Amino acid sequence: MNSTVVDINELTIGYSKKNPLVEIPRLEISSGEIIAITGPSGVGKTTLIRTISGLVRPLKGKVSLFGKPFGVRPKRGSLGYIPQRLGLVRHASVLHNVKLGARAGNSNPYSIFPNKEIRDLCLDSIRRMGLSEKIYEPIRRLSGGQQRRVAIARTMAQSPKIILADEFLSELDEKTLEMVKTEVVEFVRKESSTLIVVEHDVSRAKSIADRMLVIDDGRVNPFISQITALEVKK
Amino acid sequence: MRINWTLITIPVLLALSFWLMDGLVNDWGRLSGGGQNLIVFINESLWPPDWGVIEPQAYPVCTAYPPFDFTCSTAWIGMTETIKIAFISTVFGTLVSLPISILASRNLNPIFITFPSRFILAACRSLPSIIWAIFFVILVGLGPLSGILAMTIYTVGYLGKLQYESIEGMSNIPLESADSMGLSKIEKAIGVVIPEQANNLISQTIFMFEYNVRHGTVIGIVGAGGIGYYINLYLKFLQYDKVLAYLIIIFSVVIIIDFISIYARSFFNDEGDINPPKWISVLIPQWVFESR
Repeated sequence: MNSTVVDINELTIGYSKKNPLVEIPRLEISSGEIIAITGPSGVGKTTLIRTISGLVRPLKGKVSLFGKPFGVRPKRGSLGYIPQRLGLVRHASVLHNVKLGARAGNSNPYSIFPNKEIRDLCLDSIRRMGLSEKIYEPIRRLSGGQQRRVAIARTMAQSPKIILADEFLSELDEKTLEMVKTEVVEFVRKESSTLIVVEHDVSRAKSIADRMLVIDDGRVNPFISQITALEVKK
Repeated sequence: MRINWTLITIPVLLALSFWLMDGLVNDWGRLSGGGQNLIVFINESLWPPDWGVIEPQAYPVCTAYPPFDFTCSTAWIGMTETIKIAFISTVFGTLVSLPISILASRNLNPIFITFPSRFILAACRSLPSIIWAIFFVILVGLGPLSGILAMTIYTVGYLGKLQYESIEGMSNIPLESADSMGLSKIEKAIGVVIPEQANNLISQTIFMFEYNVRHGTVIGIVGAGGIGYYINLYLKFLQYDKVLAYLIIIFSVVIIIDFISIYARSFFNDEGDINPPKWISVLIPQWVFESR
């Protein structure tokens, strides 16, 4: 049976108590699930995954990862986060960036010697994202779509139990989009990871998600957005 | 009506400065002779520079053959010693200041780590390098060693401040990603902070080297080695034309270092492949030459 990896209870999120963004009464996400969070822009989708990742403190309620309450850091490498603006080291190479993820997921923090296994893992992730020709290229010289694929390769090399991805399929052309989607879904199924994606494009979200969380723009309560969970029929 | 504060602030600041200056200067009439004195000083003592400083010294006997006998001159010996002192202290100072500045950055560490680190850097910076030089001349005696120690300590303080300010100014997103992944503080510093800030760190280090070359001339005056020793010597004998020759040499070296700095930083620009800068851009901005 799949275990619960994210447990949310009576959660209110936002950046100030005066202006809460979203209210979530109850939400459980199991391991191996692919969840897409959709809704209009500015409604609080990014804030929700930033709260789950531990970067934003919840205004009220509980959010726990792997059964641990907010503020307790999960095990090293067990959480992967692809921010909307990617968070890559712009002056470093593709390999360097992917290696950061591989190190987080596969080595102890004090190992200082080069590790062939980690290097091979990085090269495999880079190859899967179709960037083998760009291994030593600095990030700043890559296009937006290529940079996005580096961020995905970094997370794949990390092999986290939970992947939080913010608009990770944007800036990709049709062919690359299909390739990236296939690789990521295959990776998530193989590793039994949980993928939580923020995606404003509903059809794109439906194409990969098992379940969709739709955040409305405050129709029920004009001040706080509500969340609705929908099963996606495959 | 919207008030233009710039138009008000600048005249107020200027008026305040002149008022304070008026309190400090009791005889404004002394300014009237300044220009004339300068002309006399330049004509009689300063110009033309005495390039005898690049001729080999009479003693010790020069073993180099022309045209390389200039390597036996006081200018060459003093300048190379100053550059060596500056280089060594910049390398040592950077190696010491970088870890301290990472500890001192508020976006990487809590206040109980940043505060003592900043305290160390402020302590190193609070005395000018010439005072450190006097201190080390007393401790270890005359010569380049005291110069190296003095400039290393000052470099740690000065460069450390520049470094932590630039680290604090970096984007938070790569740091948040690293935090989410669970990277340790050391991995974050080596893998994210240093490469992300490479452009600034290199530029600051080269600036510090240039600063140390310029200040190497000052610390030589108190006996801590370098070209300053000769400048001090000729100042005492009132041979200002020789002093001017030394100053021109220092100026040329500073310009060369500036060029190296621009060139080195061009490899870390966001634009990626850019044309190497022209040497004249040290004096005149590069865009002047760009017709497109």
